[in-house]
Amino acid sequence: MNKKEVFKLAKGFRGRAKNCIRIARERVEKALQYSYRDRRNKKRDMRSLWIERINAGTRVHGVNYGNFMHGLVKENIQLNRKVLSELSMHEPYSFKALVDVSRTAFPGNKNMTSAPKKEGLAILV
Amino acid sequence: MAMATATSSSAMMTHLTTCLQFSSGSQQCLRSIASERADVWNKTWYPKAEDHVNTEKTWYVVDAADKILGRLASTIAIHIRGKNLATYTPSVDMGAFVIVVNAEKVAVSGKKRTQKLYRRHSGRPGGMKVETFDQLQQRIPERIVEHAVRGMLPKGRLGRDLFTHLKVYTGPDHPHQAQKPIDLPIRDKRITKQT
Repeated sequence: MNKKEVFKLAKGFRGRAKNCIRIARERVEKALQYSYRDRRNKKRDMRSLWIERINAGTRVHGVNYGNFMHGLVKENIQLNRKVLSELSMHEPYSFKALVDVSRTAFPGNKNMTSAPKKEGLAILV
Repeated sequence: MAMATATSSSAMMTHLTTCLQFSSGSQQCLRSIASERADVWNKTWYPKAEDHVNTEKTWYVVDAADKILGRLASTIAIHIRGKNLATYTPSVDMGAFVIVVNAEKVAVSGKKRTQKLYRRHSGRPGGMKVETFDQLQQRIPERIVEHAVRGMLPKGRLGRDLFTHLKVYTGPDHPHQAQKPIDLPIRDKRITKQT
């Protein structure tokens, strides 16, 4: 790459990295490496964000993410996590219907937040 | 098995009908998708500035008397961070404010009252200061709950901002009546000290 292209890509960099060619060239190379890596990471990060949102949405209705997805799989509902997370945010009634479908298909742990009863000497703690 | 298909009518209409009526937990009104041009189903939603205005966030109040410290701190941290909301975003403060009262009465199990140590270091050699739970509770009782919650919030710029949304007070009163705080919903069944 010639210098003009390097400086074009180095816009917004900190300090000398946007003005001095030797430093800019290094930083631009690194930036391109990061963007290559992160195009692949972005897909993972997005999916993990969808899962976190779905988890929060289902826990409002007393079901956790794992049991919810298992119920959907049992009912052969093939909605992907992107759409499920958008449903949980923007279409709460439809999402509740989905949670109910999943719950009838797979009841899972009845009380998600109950604790095992302490027995014997553990009661004293 | 037939399931309710999500309506694909314009985002604005469905948003407005569900937004005002659905009142479970703290479902927030998503202003940013009210415009006709929002592509709700192909682009993952990211909050705009009007979706996380501090003045419109929920305020919760919780009484710490006889609650187990760690379990209480965990619930508080979840609500401050916003992880209980479907609109959770890791890079944005979508959480609520939490007020803790009666902080001096928070409980711990076992022998932690005399054995749990709180350490701090002044930065100089030999400058480690250690005190027990009991001593700290005599000195500065709010710090116990604050220390616990701070350890459960993310560490970083956003985490430090989130920490400012926690308000801890000794005694049963707090100066935030104007924010009309509601009771923090606690789902942990072991959070009250078994006596």
